[in-house]
Amino acid sequence: MKNRLKVLRAERDWSQQHLADLLEVSRQSVNAIETGRYDPSLPLAFKIADVFEMTIEEIFQRD
Amino acid sequence: MSTEVKRSFTRTVPFWAGLAFGTFGAVMGLALSDAINAATALILMIVPAGLFFQTMRVANTTTTCNGRGEAQRLYVKRVAIFASAYLVVVALQVSLLGGDEASEASLAARAALSVMPGLAICGIFWAIGRLILDEKDEFVRMLIVRQTLIATGFALGFATIWGFLEAGEVVPHIPAYWFAVAFFGGQFIGAVSNRITHGSWGAL
Repeated sequence: MKNRLKVLRAERDWSQQHLADLLEVSRQSVNAIETGRYDPSLPLAFKIADVFEMTIEEIFQRD
Repeated sequence: MSTEVKRSFTRTVPFWAGLAFGTFGAVMGLALSDAINAATALILMIVPAGLFFQTMRVANTTTTCNGRGEAQRLYVKRVAIFASAYLVVVALQVSLLGGDEASEASLAARAALSVMPGLAICGIFWAIGRLILDEKDEFVRMLIVRQTLIATGFALGFATIWGFLEAGEVVPHIPAYWFAVAFFGGQFIGAVSNRITHGSWGAL
């Protein structure tokens, strides 16, 4: 699964740690999701969408 | 900041862990060679137990700086408690059952003394299970589960292959508690696998 997390984070000038704090996860989780090494669960995907005020489909796309 | 923390971790945790295991080995060696009596060995075991607590305390401080959660702090504390208990009961077992005393002790006393180190190691297994339940970060939890599954597979594989090799009289007999050691060795393999596939060592 592809995602636009890194781009969206860069647009807001957020660090990985800041995003991790907003999502209440570890920085390594954010890094793993950004690099495509880990696909988040549906609840975490909703949380990410809420943080960026977007829909899940606008952040995550099929390969 | 993170570089300083990392440097501090590599210098301090291995240092304290090395001291703890070194002193534990020295005391065990003295006890096994009858250089010191049971009571002295038991008293001296306080030194590696104290050093192990210090190792866990330093590791705990470091994990806090790394932003790890409450579940991992609890895990470190639980492992420190059970590992210290293990050191003490192993010393007790070696001291009281190590020589001619074994034949003099009753079956019940031997069973009680012999089961205690195993129970202490089971405590560490329980701590790993609780960590999986308590960990709130789903990615970290997945890494722990993955690491533990690899370790379990490694230990079971080692036990099975060794058992058949033993049956074929290819290798000597080893006590079954070595399969727990294989499990902990498997945790290291699991951590390396996590690092390769997911870019993170995990949490154990």
